Amino acid sequence: MNEVKVYEKDQKVKIHFKVNGQDVEYETEPRKLLVHALRELGFTGVHIGCDTSNCGACTVIMNGKSVKSCTVLAVEADGSEILTVEGLAKDGKLHPIQEAFWEKHALQCGYCTPGMIMEAYWLLKEKPDPTEEEIREGISGNLCRCTGYQNIVEAVKLASQKLRLGQTPYQRQ
Amino acid sequence: MYPPKIGYVIPDSVTEALEFLEKHDDAKPLAGGHSLIPMLKLRLLRPSYLVEIRRLQELKYLRKDGAQYSIGALSTHYEISKANIPLLSETASKIGDPQVRNMGTIGGSISHLDPSADYPAALIVLDAKVKVVGTKGERVVDFASFAKDMFTPDLNQGELVKEVLINDYSGYKYSYQKLERRAGDFAIVGVAVLLKVDGEEIKDARIGLTAVNTKAVRATEAENVLKDKICEKTIEVASDLAVKYANPTSDIRGTAEYKKKVTKVMTKRAILTALGKR
Ligand SMILES: Cc1cc2nc3c(=O)[nH]c(=O)nc-3n(C[C@H](O)[C@H](O)[C@H](O)COP(=O)(O)OP(=O)(O)OC[C@H]3O[C@@H](n4cnc5c(N)ncnc54)[C@H](O)[C@@H]3O)c2cc1C
Ligand code: FES
Ligand code: FES
Repeated sequence: MNEVKVYEKDQKVKIHFKVNGQDVEYETEPRKLLVHALRELGFTGVHIGCDTSNCGACTVIMNGKSVKSCTVLAVEADGSEILTVEGLAKDGKLHPIQEAFWEKHALQCGYCTPGMIMEAYWLLKEKPDPTEEEIREGISGNLCRCTGYQNIVEAVKLASQKLRLGQTPYQRQ
Repeated sequence: MYPPKIGYVIPDSVTEALEFLEKHDDAKPLAGGHSLIPMLKLRLLRPSYLVEIRRLQELKYLRKDGAQYSIGALSTHYEISKANIPLLSETASKIGDPQVRNMGTIGGSISHLDPSADYPAALIVLDAKVKVVGTKGERVVDFASFAKDMFTPDLNQGELVKEVLINDYSGYKYSYQKLERRAGDFAIVGVAVLLKVDGEEIKDARIGLTAVNTKAVRATEAENVLKDKICEKTIEVASDLAVKYANPTSDIRGTAEYKKKVTKVMTKRAILTALGKR
């Protein structure tokens, strides 16, 4: 039987993962949060809005599911595939969800927006044609202090139409 | 906010995890991390090592064998919400928010035992059992006795929850009603109701309350009153009686007085919803 892998608290762990399709190698202390690792790697669209896992500004897609990257350790991401807001636009063209947020004025200060968009991405993958209630429940883990949510809900509805009409092929992870 | 400095252990099997945990008193298993990591960030805990069990395939399954579901400890709230298990799937769908449900696991929830957690209300009415595994073997305990008190599961250092076992109650009517201050929050009160109905009569009734005691409780007197012909009067009396089992504390989610009142409201709502009368 091989030895169990033990990392001491000051020891660096080498992890490999994919961010937005690119292979990344990263060295981290065990205690580092995924959100900090991603920001250090330059993916600063991943925001930190709270200390209590409530706000969702840090939402990314990890292995196909939306997660709050402030509540996942970087070491846990070893071997995973991650999609951040930076990975949505293709060839200088915004993703339909991004277009919809733009067209519906679904942001004011924009702090919550990357997390909101990533959660909308997961929601629309799960439920391509959600009802208004499903949209509201779907973004219940994401707080917005500016918009009052109405335009965000409208944007997700529009994004769902755009994606179903297939204006742009939906990027599936 | 950063977690404190911690060691990290990546076992390849449950056996390796158990051996390490047994030898290290203040090491903690890491499942979905959605109770553990917030507590680390707030420095409420300082374990020596985290033992990553989240990726152990041995604990990741959800099976139905005959009339019994075996739910591996690492099944996420999301997976359980999609599994069509009477009462439990509905309960799982009301935990936290979508991101929390994508990571959080049933094994982590019942090992943590927050007094406001949702699963316990359902698990006590479903007569769930918990299979615990240690280096010396396995044991099966009733969930009701496994949940000794808040934050106090019947687990020794070096033991893990392996699975949750529940019988199939497809013949029953059920509902889980949760009152929250805002979407995604823990319950102010949560009421799980499971009813066996035969024509106009309720043959079996079970009512579980969460968030209004140090642990989830069955409202037995209310249950007994319900086992009768379905009528508005008995539903009203049963909902009143449920309040006897609520012993809430005042906190940011409301005063004790308020929580007692809404225990009645939510019990009635759960019974009516289960019966399809709402
Ligand atoms: C924003 C937010 C909102 C939430 N809302 C709700 C809610 O509405 N309702 C609700 O019920 N919960 C809620 N939770 C808690 C959530 O459900 C957690 O996922 C759950 O309580 C713990 O599961 P976990 O897998 O994340 O466990 P972890 O955090 O990994 O572990 C929790 C504890 O259990 C131990 N442990 C984990 N797995 C095992 C095992 N198999 N055997 C033995 N010990 C084990 C760990 O060592 C730790 O002590 C919320 C959490 C957050 C962050
Ligand atoms: S930073 Fe607020 S939920 Fe992650
Ligand atoms: S736009 Fe400012 S927080 Fe949402």
